[in-house]
Amino acid sequence: MGKTTATASIGAALAAEGKRVAVVDMDIGLRNLDVVMGLENRIVFNVVDAVKGKCKIQQAAIKDRRIENLYLIPASQSDNKNVLIPEDMVRFGEKIRLEFDYVLMDCPAGIERGFENSVAAADEAVVICMPEVSSVRDADRVIGLLYARDITPKLVVNRIIPDMVARGEMLSHEDIVDVLSIDLLGLVPMDDHVVISTNTGMPLIMQKDSKAGKAFRRIAMRLNGNSDIPIEIPQGQGRFWKRIGTKFGLGK
Amino acid sequence: METTDQNNAVDAPVRLKGMGDGLCVSLDPDQPSDFIRSELVRLFQPLKHLAINARVVLDFGESEGDDALVDELGAFLKETFGVGSVNKSAKRRTASEDLLRQRDMDRSWHHYRSDVLMLTGRVRSGQKVTARRHLLLLGDVNPGGEVVSGGDILIMGSLAGTAIAGQPEGSDAIVLALDFRPTQIQIGPVVAAGLPPSRQGFPEYAHMEGGNIVVENYMEANPFGRMPWPEVR
Repeated sequence: MGKTTATASIGAALAAEGKRVAVVDMDIGLRNLDVVMGLENRIVFNVVDAVKGKCKIQQAAIKDRRIENLYLIPASQSDNKNVLIPEDMVRFGEKIRLEFDYVLMDCPAGIERGFENSVAAADEAVVICMPEVSSVRDADRVIGLLYARDITPKLVVNRIIPDMVARGEMLSHEDIVDVLSIDLLGLVPMDDHVVISTNTGMPLIMQKDSKAGKAFRRIAMRLNGNSDIPIEIPQGQGRFWKRIGTKFGLGK
Repeated sequence: METTDQNNAVDAPVRLKGMGDGLCVSLDPDQPSDFIRSELVRLFQPLKHLAINARVVLDFGESEGDDALVDELGAFLKETFGVGSVNKSAKRRTASEDLLRQRDMDRSWHHYRSDVLMLTGRVRSGQKVTARRHLLLLGDVNPGGEVVSGGDILIMGSLAGTAIAGQPEGSDAIVLALDFRPTQIQIGPVVAAGLPPSRQGFPEYAHMEGGNIVVENYMEANPFGRMPWPEVR
């Protein structure tokens, strides 16, 4: 669905806005947020150490190379998700919220312990959903579980391919919002830059011509209180030429 | 002694009572004709001249009673006691139904209680709503959501999940939705999976017909529109 990319990008964008931001990789055992952010060779302590009190939060938090005020707390690669329990996370949440303006937790896939741990300490949630029926079904389930914990989630639709939506081959964001019926936080188009960014560890939002990067910047601004920023609907490449063509009576 | 007589009179297969300006004879047509005749003689004998030119109505109660019997008994009564006319009583609703309708009317259905779980909102994937009897949902059922009821299921919104009505045995239950495109429907013990995609834009409902689940346009079929009197479901 792009949870990790979204976490890294929104975290970077919030930090670029001048906020003090921590991104926490909760995917214990399948650590990858550090790679996406290009910080994999600087890990000493991880989130399990910080939660269990083996180190201080400041020791576990790795400062980003490029963006000021952005910190990563990486996951442990050798443990599994059951080493943490939700009660630990609630205590950890109370400590870490004193140190940062925003703490973003990258929730692992599934609705088991990893999800429980991430949600236990959370005030708010962003659900990332792809325009696919299966993804919408899962998102719906997760939204139900979040509501059950009195968290009102917001929706980001990721990897939209506008040309496919126009041809009716992909769910439109309206269809998704119809089913999920929660507030829309942003629409992110499919973007090749995401792969480049993940492989190089270069933040997506710092790539000048990345549409997804721009979309995540706007999402971060909306999260940061500028809720009046209009939601931009991704437009296809062919759209302009098609419109011109229609004007001159060409094509269909 | 008297009470015994009265009891006999109530249980008797042939009874006589005054009705308006005539006489009403209640009898069981399954009794042998000779027996009925002897009973009629026993009842009409004491009337003497009162029976002459009287209007007699034969009431067969619940059973139909055939015209041959009416003619036969009519001829017998006219000959023997000189009664005026003999007719079969008009088939009419039972007295208790009259009373019930009158009561419904007078109290405007206040005396009924119907077990309905009425909810608003959305049933999401992985959520399950169970109603003891009827379920009324003002909202939607998402794909992967499940609604179960002992009676009917009415969704005032779109039904895209699973609906299980009439559990465990109620095969007269219906599933109604304004936007009807469920993953699966179950009514009583019958399951309908892989329903064809429905034409959208009007309310549809599923019900049992001859052991199968049938989906129809609710407004066109209007299954309850022809009921003579509002009933509690």
